[in-house]
Amino acid sequence: MPRTPGIRREFRFPWRNRRQVAEDVDAELAFHLARRAEELVAAGLSADDARREAARRFGDLEYTTRYCRDEDVRRERESHHMVKLEALRQDLVYALRALRSAPGFAVVALLTLALGIGANTAIFSVVRGVLLRPLPFPDADRVVRIWHASAADNDYRSPLSEPDFKDWSAAASRFTSLAGYWYAPGGSGADLTGVGTPERLEGAFVTPEFFPTLRAAALVGRTIRPDEAVQGNDLYMVISYGLWQRRFGGDPVVVGRPLTINGVPRTVLGVMPPDFTYPADRIDFWIPLSTIPATAIGRGRVSRFLDVIGRLKPGVTVAQGRDELAAIARRIAAREPADKNFTGVTVVPVREAILGPVERPLLLLLGAVAFVLLITCVNIAGLLLARATSRERELAVRSALGAGRGRIVRQLLTESLVLAFLGGTLGVGLAYLGVHALGAIGAAELPRASEIRIDATVLLYALGVSMAAGLLSGVLPALRAASRNLQGMLRAGARGSVGAGHRLRGALVIGEVALAAILAVGAGLATRSFAHLLNVDPGFRPEHLLTVKLSIPSSYFDADRAQAYYQEILARVGAVPGVRAVGSAKYLPLRGTGEPWPSLIVPGTVGGPGDREIRLPVLHVSAGYFHAMGIPVRAGRTFTTADDGKHPVVLVVNQEFVRRYWPAGWDAGRVLRAGDTPIQIIGVVGNVRQRSLTEPAEPMGYIHYLQNMRSGMNLAIRTAGDPLYYVNAVRQAIWSVDPRQTITSIEPMSAVLGDTVARPRLLTSLLLLFGAMGLALGALGLYGVLSYTVSQRRQEIGVRVALGATPGSVLALVVRQGMTLALVGVVAGIAGALLLTRLMAAVLYQVRTTDPATFAAVVLVLLGTALLASWLPARRALRIDPVQALRYE
Amino acid sequence: MPRSSLGLLQGTVDVLILRTLSWASMHGYGISRWISDRSAGALALEDAALYQALHRLERKGLVQSEWGITEKNQRAKYYKLTPAGRRQLRTEVAELRQYMAVLFQVLDPASRIHATNSRHPA
Repeated sequence: MPRTPGIRREFRFPWRNRRQVAEDVDAELAFHLARRAEELVAAGLSADDARREAARRFGDLEYTTRYCRDEDVRRERESHHMVKLEALRQDLVYALRALRSAPGFAVVALLTLALGIGANTAIFSVVRGVLLRPLPFPDADRVVRIWHASAADNDYRSPLSEPDFKDWSAAASRFTSLAGYWYAPGGSGADLTGVGTPERLEGAFVTPEFFPTLRAAALVGRTIRPDEAVQGNDLYMVISYGLWQRRFGGDPVVVGRPLTINGVPRTVLGVMPPDFTYPADRIDFWIPLSTIPATAIGRGRVSRFLDVIGRLKPGVTVAQGRDELAAIARRIAAREPADKNFTGVTVVPVREAILGPVERPLLLLLGAVAFVLLITCVNIAGLLLARATSRERELAVRSALGAGRGRIVRQLLTESLVLAFLGGTLGVGLAYLGVHALGAIGAAELPRASEIRIDATVLLYALGVSMAAGLLSGVLPALRAASRNLQGMLRAGARGSVGAGHRLRGALVIGEVALAAILAVGAGLATRSFAHLLNVDPGFRPEHLLTVKLSIPSSYFDADRAQAYYQEILARVGAVPGVRAVGSAKYLPLRGTGEPWPSLIVPGTVGGPGDREIRLPVLHVSAGYFHAMGIPVRAGRTFTTADDGKHPVVLVVNQEFVRRYWPAGWDAGRVLRAGDTPIQIIGVVGNVRQRSLTEPAEPMGYIHYLQNMRSGMNLAIRTAGDPLYYVNAVRQAIWSVDPRQTITSIEPMSAVLGDTVARPRLLTSLLLLFGAMGLALGALGLYGVLSYTVSQRRQEIGVRVALGATPGSVLALVVRQGMTLALVGVVAGIAGALLLTRLMAAVLYQVRTTDPATFAAVVLVLLGTALLASWLPARRALRIDPVQALRYE
Repeated sequence: MPRSSLGLLQGTVDVLILRTLSWASMHGYGISRWISDRSAGALALEDAALYQALHRLERKGLVQSEWGITEKNQRAKYYKLTPAGRRQLRTEVAELRQYMAVLFQVLDPASRIHATNSRHPA
């Protein structure tokens, strides 16, 4: 069979429609019958008889007519198809050939496209994993996070007390259920012993409604039943898929068996599915809340520790749910003195509660990376336009040979689509690398980071983006090339003219520079913000500071040996050679705040305000804590080991406390009252950013461990040199006290600080990267256009030089053109940036979105780059030899 | 369906047409006359079957048609072999010959039909 049966016929028959096919068949058969009749007449039959006999001999005329028509119609259709396929094949072959014939262009275009598409794919895979993938519970849009709110305390997201939670659960009719849980990162853990090496596990303590509220079912076994979460019958647990795989190799026999948690055996009821990790990415177990004794966490109304979730009944809106809970909260506040200030509630969809903080930065990055691709497209459009101009003769020849305008547009578009597809394929490869790199620079800190991967959806997105990029960069040059008077051009025999095409390319460059300017402003603002963040004084000295997180086993508490154990650990670690000082706190800064002391009275002063009741976060620390952390003592004294359980409780407060409550200053006679008991304030220390680097210090108190023992222990160890050198010695020192002691983590304080700025760092480094890409692409575009102009204006420049133009004036000619384009672009970009950077306000720290310094720097950098990009082609113009230029052509 | 005085085997219509067209391009009527002349009327190919076969062969790309003018100045559709048709004819003739040889070897071992290396075209 010939390879293209349709092609050759194309020149003889245009496509025949159904009616033409029918006419042809009819004519063919009529001819046959006429000839047969003639033959019969010659043999002696009458004309009528001959016609009848011819028809008889023919056979089934009607069926044959239909058969032949059908065959022909089908053939037409098939060959039409073949021609289309063939045309596509031709276009593809032609496109590849065209790319091969211009390797410089192809390499630049492919690389920039690969970078643009790769960056888009990588960022999209993060956005998809973190934001777009549905939460791992059914009807997640009806699940809400619920907090108690007290406007008087400026606390809108307070956990609930257990009595409040029970009252709310009983009264709330617009919710299918409410559930409470206690989870504190690094705080609500427990020790797993008895199987292999002891391990500190991360877990949540939950009320029995926890799993039903999330409508989460176990993968193996089942979740906790209400009757298995009551005191006396609550030694049960559900474990996570992660723990199941890690410790038990996914063996289902673990279900129904007991595990020893905090020294108590608890039966494993079930294993949750891999994607169920609420309330934290890294979680090992869920245990009934009832197993926490009231001696460990108080169950009065002042003890607010429960995080609460709820499932709205179908048809109930978040606002309706909030209204109902607010009404309940007001009723309780009126009745219960402890809840006096807590008259409000905060209700937020659970998705927003989990992802709210990262949504804006991620979308910002997605926007920025789209800008990069847009610049890439504009850049390639410019390159294609320049190429189309130099290919005018070739296109004119094709047009003269019968290619219509549509055909030429299609062929040029195929070229840019092929380019985009190849670029996209390379880009997906880059995206694979990029996703790993993102993990390394902080994306792993994002919620649901484990969901980030390149899957079918992401690949589809990459394909879509590639095709869009191909069309975007190709459509303008293709339409323009086809709309030129190609035949006329051929007759004129002219080289490409510098006219409308030139203006169009200029416009493209302006657009590129403008987009690059917007990106650069975004990157600049993020960088300034990040620099502010790094320059924040946390209130302590983080360098040469090693931190160790551990938890005193409950067995020491039972035996009343906890305090001695605690002091012993501090002493042994302090004795490690090279350790300058050691202290301990229940939570180190940036890892947790103190326990709120629910009701303290600031006594009124004569002539000043009356008694004020306040809630004060109080952090449990050791005597050496302030010294080891480098927190300055501003007044009075700090704790000594003499401040122990045998003496009255005393507090140290921070400067912010004094500023707010005792503007006149601190003196040794200052006391607070807890009920009727006076509590002496023995000293004042410097402010520490306890909650986060970006939040200024709040009033805060410190209490000595020996007066109020806690199991959580975070050592702060001031070392002589690099803290990492001391890790082993410190670990040995701790184990010399008790070799069974689990150690949750050992890391330098600088790493703790690094973690807290991981997200801003991720945002900043990516915005900087994208900004740099934008800048480079913009410069490339400008350089391309100017180089092209110089080559097109060879003759003109040659004439000028021949007529005595100085090198300076030739340079100025080219540079002026480049700088004009750049200047217009920068102005447009700054205007765009003023509009767009508003979206960044939420992610910036102490930088206004209109920060003049950033804008000025961006203008300078862009114009500087533009100058460089103009200078190089100008130098080339300078080298034009007038004699040669004039002889040329 | 084809019906003839000497019952034509299924598939032989196609090979007969291809064979006819291997001499020259012809219109349908010409093919019909040529076959009946060559077989002295013994092979009567029904016209309906002929035209169905022609259009089928054309769709398969084995023959190609073109409108032309006859010696009597009438408009007629002429068919000619395509290169693919020529190849098809060669294989079909070979297969048919082999088939006949085997068939007669069974039916009548004495009078063998020799699978001579014929001068069939193409």
